[in-house]
Amino acid sequence: MAVRSEAAYPVGWKNGRVASWLVTVDHKRIGILYIGTSIFFFGLGGILAILMRAQLTTPGEHLLTKNSYNEVMTMHGTTMVFLVVVPIMAGFGNFLVPLMIGARDMAFPRLNALSYWLFLLGGIVLWLSFFAKGGAAHAGWWSYPTLSENAPWASPGHGQDYWILAIHILTLSSVFGAINFIVTIHNMRTAGMTWMRMPLFVWAMETYSILLIVAMPAMAAAVTLLLLDRNFGTHFFIPGHGGSILLYQHMFWFFGHPEVYIMVLPAFGMISEILPVFSRKPIFGYKAVAFSTLAIAFFSMLVWAHHMFTAGLGIGLDSFFMISSLVIAVPTGIKIFNWLATTWRGNLQFDSPMLFSLGFLALFTFGGLTGIFLAAFPVDWQLNDSYYVVAHFHYVAFGGIVFALFAGLYYWWPKMFGRMLDERLAKWNFWLMFIGFNLTFFPMHMLGLLGMPRRVYTYHHGGLWEIYNSISTAGGVLTAISVAVFVANIWITHGLRKGARVGNDPWIADTLEWYTTSPPPPHNFDSVPYVTSARPLRDLRRRLAEDAT
Amino acid sequence: MRRKLLTFVFATLVALATALLTASVAAATNGGLTPVQPASPNASHTVTTYWIIVGFTGFIFFLVEGLLVVFIWKYRSRGRARTVEGPQVHGQTRLEIVWTVIPVVILAVIAVVVFVSLPKIADAPASTNPIHITVEGHQFYWQFDYPNRARSINTLYVPVGAVVDLKVIATDVIHSWWIPALGGKIQAIPGRVNHTWFQAERAGTYAGQCAELCGVYHSSMLANVVAESQAKYEAYIGTQAAATIGKQEFTGVCATCHGNLAQGGYGPNIAGNPTLIQPAALETVLRYGVSGSTGAMPPVGDTWNPAQIKALEAYLKQHVYTGATS
Repeated sequence: MAVRSEAAYPVGWKNGRVASWLVTVDHKRIGILYIGTSIFFFGLGGILAILMRAQLTTPGEHLLTKNSYNEVMTMHGTTMVFLVVVPIMAGFGNFLVPLMIGARDMAFPRLNALSYWLFLLGGIVLWLSFFAKGGAAHAGWWSYPTLSENAPWASPGHGQDYWILAIHILTLSSVFGAINFIVTIHNMRTAGMTWMRMPLFVWAMETYSILLIVAMPAMAAAVTLLLLDRNFGTHFFIPGHGGSILLYQHMFWFFGHPEVYIMVLPAFGMISEILPVFSRKPIFGYKAVAFSTLAIAFFSMLVWAHHMFTAGLGIGLDSFFMISSLVIAVPTGIKIFNWLATTWRGNLQFDSPMLFSLGFLALFTFGGLTGIFLAAFPVDWQLNDSYYVVAHFHYVAFGGIVFALFAGLYYWWPKMFGRMLDERLAKWNFWLMFIGFNLTFFPMHMLGLLGMPRRVYTYHHGGLWEIYNSISTAGGVLTAISVAVFVANIWITHGLRKGARVGNDPWIADTLEWYTTSPPPPHNFDSVPYVTSARPLRDLRRRLAEDAT
Repeated sequence: MRRKLLTFVFATLVALATALLTASVAAATNGGLTPVQPASPNASHTVTTYWIIVGFTGFIFFLVEGLLVVFIWKYRSRGRARTVEGPQVHGQTRLEIVWTVIPVVILAVIAVVVFVSLPKIADAPASTNPIHITVEGHQFYWQFDYPNRARSINTLYVPVGAVVDLKVIATDVIHSWWIPALGGKIQAIPGRVNHTWFQAERAGTYAGQCAELCGVYHSSMLANVVAESQAKYEAYIGTQAAATIGKQEFTGVCATCHGNLAQGGYGPNIAGNPTLIQPAALETVLRYGVSGSTGAMPPVGDTWNPAQIKALEAYLKQHVYTGATS
């Protein structure tokens, strides 16, 4: 590191160690800021999760009060969705999309910085609500009215208003970011990179952005109406005055289900990048994987009312939403089979990114299959709003998304920071998390089938209820330890500078981000090789090998 | 050598975790692998449908996870260098079609299974003459209206074998009616009327609880359905319900927050509060709730009839109030 490219810039306060991060419009730095902030909120949301698990270990009100449990539960969900998964995907997208398509930066660097700072602001507003009059929001992350309305017996105080404000800020952040991604991907691909040569992660970010633009405004509109109800005397959702609670449910889930895919599609994209590299093969069925992403995005906008099967919509609507929900399983299945086929006859390298990817494949498949039970609406009448649902969506959101995120972190970490994370600790991280995760969430299926509803601070049965809850808490502790191992790994790698420095391409990968240095210079590339396939780096290696002989 | 050792350690850990899980599952009969033992036709048909879906998804599960494990084992690098590539297969159209069409067929079969079982789950048997009961979800109790206008709180009494049609409503926030042994959930949504039904096939008490977050005491909003003989049912709604409604209201509604002796809990101590023996003031509190600076009480009795309020007054005076009588 004799010559850092930053040295070429004029010297000034903006080049300071901290100030340079505050004023940066570099997509890589913004990406790292996004990822770092999201990991911080992941820690906070995780602490809330552990509090809930500790509370539920045995029946009774011992650790959390009834009130604070509802706040903790609401904030855990809101934090994990809006402050962890959505922004960390924006972070990876920010760091990777310009590098993967051979661009120098995002299309609108300043807008990009604005997106990040709005995200941070939204997170701060949400978390400060713990100090609001009446405490944080406590009506669940759906915030169904009338429980979220400003009645003395519902949600008085300002916690819910802070929550609404945070959603508004985060909506702006996400929509700005999404516009930026779309413009970048459409206009700034390097020479030769046609749509069918684009890395699958970029496909995923394109779809993520489209879905954000379609879905987030529905949510913003819903909470705007809620805000008017709460503070300006309107009655959009107050039935006694002609409002409709069901209207909110529709608006929320019209956003809420695409949101699931907003979170999971970039995770799919990461898996589609990582599995081939560590199988030493190309992705099986590139087009099928790319188009199934679009298919999932399309159908994700037609399935929202499967969250409302117990609201009494009638058999006709229930049937429609069951069928559309089953349809979405087809493109999802296509992806799973293509990923499996990618490993077929490969030379599988079990480095940590691969372990997390294979873990993802195992767990996400299970989470997808339990979703079929929930789509079958007469069965859902039994399972809806029970711990079975909590188990299902954590298999998707944690077993799927978080495992993919760790795969991505371990995979791209050397590119971001130029040092390799310790592989032994990474493997501990994986196995502890894999076992801890299953111990935490598998028993929740059984709890739900036994009759335990979600969002309760206690339960009134001993026996199996208590056994499963205790196992789940033990698993939660193990999962927390696995995350601690990850943090320790970062400390050892960077704090103690034990991490080995890496060259441009430590994994011998296929895509353009590995063509530049690790970490890349501010301008990313001196030059970009002409792209002739979806694997430009492999092509380059082959050309070089041919030239040498 | 070290790699082998590590693999062994990992495999053991996974095996241990799995064993622990299976043991805990096997620890009891029906340890939560299926919905609870059904006691009503709709619940039994739900369990049947559940098992059919378990069959199909189980097949896919073992296929995918099995292939995954086999591939991981078979194609592990065995010390091959990272630079050694596998066969550069980019896809196979016929395979793609196969694993698109087969899931479509399986999902279509699942949909057909659902539609075949749907009438048996959603619709009450047509020929019978159902008992119509209104279920009202309320912060934080359930109120049942019987055909003869009798009411009960938190415990619903029904005759064994009778088809019961439930009209499910609410006035404050969304609740969700759920007795797992007697069928699925249905939300009680303010401003809407929903219906569900059950037919208790065996005498007994079936427990359930509110399934939609409804506020601070959501977890305490328990419900029981007692299925008993026709004679006992008629005796209950004929005389017992009216005779005990005051006590039911206190223990099922007031005591949740104020404690079994009105000694206070989440809500304040009201044992000596003179409002308890002032009918007009008491009625105002019950119908409109309280919103004070120190906390709020929901309008728990906004749908109560005068007889109910009188019954509570009488009960409070006789059993709860500890202050001076004026």
